[in-house]
Amino acid sequence: MDFAWSAAQAAYRGRVRDALEELLPADWDSHYAPQGYGSKDQIDFSRDFCPKLAERNLLTRHWPEQWGGESADPWEQFILAEEMKWRGEPRGPQYMNVNWLGPTLMKYGTAEQQREHLGRIAAGSVIWCQGYSEPGAGTDLAALQTRAEPHGNGYRINGQKIWTSYARRADFCFLLARTGPGRKEISIFIVPMDTPGVQVVPFPGLVGEGHLNEMFFTDVDVPASARVGEEGKAWEIILYALSFERVGIPRYHVGRKLLDKAIAQLKAEGRGDDPIIKARVGRIMAKFEAARLLTYVVVDQRAKQYPPSVDANISRVTASEACTDLTNFLIEHVPDCLAGGDPILREFHRGNIAATIAAGTYELQLNLIAQSALNLPRGA
Amino acid sequence: MDLELTPEQVMLVDAVRSAGAPWRDLPEDHQRDYAHFAGDLDATLRRAGFADAARDMGPLEAALVVLETSRLPVVTSIGAAALVVPPLLGETLPGPVALVSGDRAKAQRLLPVARFALVDLGDDVALLDLAGVAVEPVPSIYAYPYGRFVSPPDLSNARRLGPDAVTTLRQWQRVAIAAECAGAAEAAVALTVDHVIQRHVFGRAIGSFQAVQHRLAQCHQIARAMRMLALHAAWSRDPLAADIAATYAQDHVNKLAFDLHQFSGGMGVTCEYKLHFFTYRLRALQAELGGADGAASAVYDRVWGTAA
Repeated sequence: MDFAWSAAQAAYRGRVRDALEELLPADWDSHYAPQGYGSKDQIDFSRDFCPKLAERNLLTRHWPEQWGGESADPWEQFILAEEMKWRGEPRGPQYMNVNWLGPTLMKYGTAEQQREHLGRIAAGSVIWCQGYSEPGAGTDLAALQTRAEPHGNGYRINGQKIWTSYARRADFCFLLARTGPGRKEISIFIVPMDTPGVQVVPFPGLVGEGHLNEMFFTDVDVPASARVGEEGKAWEIILYALSFERVGIPRYHVGRKLLDKAIAQLKAEGRGDDPIIKARVGRIMAKFEAARLLTYVVVDQRAKQYPPSVDANISRVTASEACTDLTNFLIEHVPDCLAGGDPILREFHRGNIAATIAAGTYELQLNLIAQSALNLPRGA
Repeated sequence: MDLELTPEQVMLVDAVRSAGAPWRDLPEDHQRDYAHFAGDLDATLRRAGFADAARDMGPLEAALVVLETSRLPVVTSIGAAALVVPPLLGETLPGPVALVSGDRAKAQRLLPVARFALVDLGDDVALLDLAGVAVEPVPSIYAYPYGRFVSPPDLSNARRLGPDAVTTLRQWQRVAIAAECAGAAEAAVALTVDHVIQRHVFGRAIGSFQAVQHRLAQCHQIARAMRMLALHAAWSRDPLAADIAATYAQDHVNKLAFDLHQFSGGMGVTCEYKLHFFTYRLRALQAELGGADGAASAVYDRVWGTAA
């Protein structure tokens, strides 16, 4: 057991930091970062920023050589993610592309799909959204009702999606639709967002800009070649993609930065020596460090090419609790974060309101831990 | 970074398990005790060189020894012996050691069975040979033997380790607290999981209720986090990591003690059931060195304090 970064990993982190210093504009921290990575400005920025990362081979270095990468260690993928998250994720929604949509296409996509999409993802100029949740199917994803029925040489899709981050700016949707009567007879389709019959309607909410959209699919025709994997076999693919998503965002890494900002404000207000604040902040810091180490366990397993394990759920639960504690702390001790105060703290709070719901609720993670790690019997 | 145990570390853990195997259950006439100090095991661990793991292999290995030993229902002084004594003295001590801090008139953990005491004086550390020092046992439901000095100990002839030793003592005491908590937490969760699978209520295993599953899953997650933080604190030799590990461990004892006793029901409050050997060890460790508040404040001071 060794917790040390290798010299190469440390050098890589330095390289990423240097690139960020070079590529981010002077008003990044004041203008772009506070808007959140679902905002129009950040998404537009990502279309310019990600190609520059790609030029420096920093966007998909962890991908296999076959797809333009260097088969870099998954540790490098996480170092990149940590540094991007620290600066407010200038890749915008493209973090999804490179972390799990691309790898999922590598494993399950057809040769044609791989040819068409992986290159574009690796070039850093394409935005995707994920059409998973529906008004009646969130955590219970298998209850989804959007249908893809055989039509001509392809499928005709009808249905509705909701809570679809980035949908207004997306070029493609990774869409789940029912292709049979069985509960898990679900298939995945790649749907260009400019296909006739696709309508996106944003709606207001508590979370950051760009995350709350409804998508309506009305007689949307797609060719059979748009289907990813076998018909009715989406479940395995989704579990594969979700196993990346559950540890895909290194939320633990921003804890320290957010605490730095909150404490700077508290000190300025003369509250830096408040023993209640000190005891509270130390606890939050400990939870973030726990989340960091437990996430590193998952990365270590991935680096060794082990199959996805329950440790991903454990790491997610730990990170969720740390983020929740921090959002609570901000509301209690830095309440102006939601009313004219530090916009970075505001975006952290708003970005975490739904973090225990998206990509498998906190409770779902606990179910999986209970069953997989503790072997507790399923309920009646 | 490689977060799996090396083959040597696996062998070390296996060796600790073998040494502790006779103590997975308590002797017949001690099964209803509140605490059982396994003097034979304590001596065996020292004699077999486990207390030297920090010197021979490294502090991470010493933490593994402490963590694994803490999964037993019996207690030893290996936490202090393997993790605190070596960095302070550069050698091991030929007998059980107690860590004495705070009000020396009050009961101290392990004092009645200790041969030596490391006394935190605030501005110095004294190594006290307890031969000839009168100590009286103090009854307690904590799962360690507790005792107090019959009269204030004479420290005039005790070896002084110097002002720097205070920070070393506290750093490694926090690592030891975290490692002992991790081992006790793992054992307590495992014991409770067995119980909720076997015990049926309303025609179902207790463990099939989602309300129980969720909280046990949280307890399992806590134990995993305690383990990783304790091992990291030992490996890094970093005082901040030690404070963080102790903060997390001590902060989560309430949750573990409440949930695990709750799910063990009436059995959990009897001495014939082993749960208290773990939960009341966690309880004993919960307040040491200022508890979670003290450790968390230390984290804050290191990162955001005026000296940071």
